[in-house]
Amino acid sequence: MKKDYKILALKILAPFVAIILAAFISSLIILAIDKDPLQVFYTMFKFSFKRIDSIAMILFNATPLIFSALAVSIGFKMGLFNIGIEGQYLIGTFMAALVGFSIKGLPAVIHLPLVILAGIVGGMIWSFIPIFLKVKRGVHEVISTIMLNYVAYSLIHFLIADVFRDRQQSLVEGLGSVLVRTPKLAASAVIPKMHGFLAFFGVQLPKHVYLNWFFPISVVLAAGIYYLIMRTPFGYELRAVGHNPEASCIAGINQGRIYFKGFLLSGAVAGLVGLSDLLGYFRYMDMDFPRGYGFDGIAVALIAQNNPFGIIASAILFGFLKRGSEGIQALLKVPMDTIVILQSLMIIFIVVITKIINDYVKRLEKREVA
Amino acid sequence: MLVAELFASSLRMAVPILLTAIGAVYTERSGIVNIGLEGMMIVGSFWASVGAYFYGPIMGLIYAMMAGAFLALIHSVATVTFRVNQVVSGVALNILAYGSSRFLSLIIFNKATTSHHVSGFKTVDIPGLSEIAFLQPLMTDISPILIMALILVPVSKYIIDKTVFGLRLRSVGENPLAADTLGINVFAMRYAGVIISGMLAGAAGAYLTMEHTGMYVEGMTQGKGYIAMAAMIFGNWTPTGTLWASLLFGFAEALSLRAGEGSIIPYQFIKMIPYVLTLAVLTGIVKKSTPPAASGVPYDRSTG
Repeated sequence: MKKDYKILALKILAPFVAIILAAFISSLIILAIDKDPLQVFYTMFKFSFKRIDSIAMILFNATPLIFSALAVSIGFKMGLFNIGIEGQYLIGTFMAALVGFSIKGLPAVIHLPLVILAGIVGGMIWSFIPIFLKVKRGVHEVISTIMLNYVAYSLIHFLIADVFRDRQQSLVEGLGSVLVRTPKLAASAVIPKMHGFLAFFGVQLPKHVYLNWFFPISVVLAAGIYYLIMRTPFGYELRAVGHNPEASCIAGINQGRIYFKGFLLSGAVAGLVGLSDLLGYFRYMDMDFPRGYGFDGIAVALIAQNNPFGIIASAILFGFLKRGSEGIQALLKVPMDTIVILQSLMIIFIVVITKIINDYVKRLEKREVA
Repeated sequence: MLVAELFASSLRMAVPILLTAIGAVYTERSGIVNIGLEGMMIVGSFWASVGAYFYGPIMGLIYAMMAGAFLALIHSVATVTFRVNQVVSGVALNILAYGSSRFLSLIIFNKATTSHHVSGFKTVDIPGLSEIAFLQPLMTDISPILIMALILVPVSKYIIDKTVFGLRLRSVGENPLAADTLGINVFAMRYAGVIISGMLAGAAGAYLTMEHTGMYVEGMTQGKGYIAMAAMIFGNWTPTGTLWASLLFGFAEALSLRAGEGSIIPYQFIKMIPYVLTLAVLTGIVKKSTPPAASGVPYDRSTG
């Protein structure tokens, strides 16, 4: 029993050690450009948490990362690496936008769920291809999803610039040219902000904050996925396949079927990644629609060690880092990319530390057997 | 004339893909998947601008290769020594490359996204052949790095197929346990494979900065590191196969640049060619692929 607590303690400690090590190396980098690391970190905290609107922005930043990391973690749980979230959410976002701007006159209670469903379907379509190739033809999902990411970039580019481009938009004041973008989404497709709800509790958010209902949706989804994976037969089979494919096969689990279901689920969640930005902020899709959430999601999932509740926490950490990095660039003239470096270091440290801990646990178990 | 020009343009587009793809052959043959090639190309393109701006093109190339090798060293420490997931490490390195290049660009050039203008190597003409009008675009103004890349193909083929080093490299990629029992240092061979790939990806970045654009621009690699992985797979993990694949992908890129608006096939679809072809190869539609048996599998002495 004592051993179990020790392992648990080590596992909880691991992300913190990784964060501290990454912060330490980042401090050396900050020192190298003649700035004070303590002041930089202090500014990050002060800039982020001093005002309520800043905290709301952090939650807005965290929303796509929660979806993305959840999608990654479902893959990891069954031993598959979905590095294709990037392509899946771009396709999902486009499908949602398509339903959002092409259908008009529906009430919001029907239109909005329809738009969200379109995003989910888009993500599932783009995750179906790699898992089909994996199960039927044995193509490694890492390579196929990377390839499909680039196919998605080009496809979206084509659809936005050539097929569904909004050619009727009026000139933006102060800008000489029009944007290459889709038409604006109908008002009935827009996700409401949380301002009204929070005002009920006495929290007043200014207009420039875009925190919307996708944040609570992502939190509820995290709880739902936790339940699905830890408490249902499907979740059990998913974890069994991830833990030991051969043993689960002998136990009568149809591995191909689990891969299909799990990966489509991952793609469905991935389809939600871009919707907070699309339906809550831009209200159109253009060539500069945020990219990279898929890769950030991998980092968030790793730091959370694929635990859905941990994912909420580490996504908020990343949301804070993004917000804080804007603060240090504006106030201290420290490049915000310092934080990008910090994030990449966190990934490397977390995987190395987890590996060391796992090896240590294995040695402990061996000793016990002997 | 137009044909020769298109081929010349394809060849120039193929160089960064080819250099990186040959590197990918070394790392994959040793058993390590290197998704970080894209990042190694990015640091190569950035450090080439630093070296070339302050000390000239030769130092540009050396800086770029060293930067790529440094990132590759991190990858090998993580994946070979600590045996962490090779894809995760690669993803982290790509993010590190992007962030560090922006950071350093801001510090050194005062701009996050571009460097100052840098000059490349003196171009060469092929004597004799450059006189023929038809071949002129192909035979004049050739970058030395392009020639280096082409020479690297037979050299790598020889190294991998015929030398002791190559045999050992292949053996740790096929069956590390067997190689280890024969006294081959699995870890050293894998470090070597990964670091060679980093140096070549760095050189590819230098080509983009010094020979192709004349300056470092953020995002100039445009996923060429991934295209290079595709070329390596399409070339069936061999240097010669990789050459043909790189030329094909370079051709697709040259074509997509020429196909402007109003062409029959939208250029975005031409851009998809490398990726779709690679998927087709892996699926077995085009031909059978035979990856190294232990590629992507960490080697642990205690468990084999």
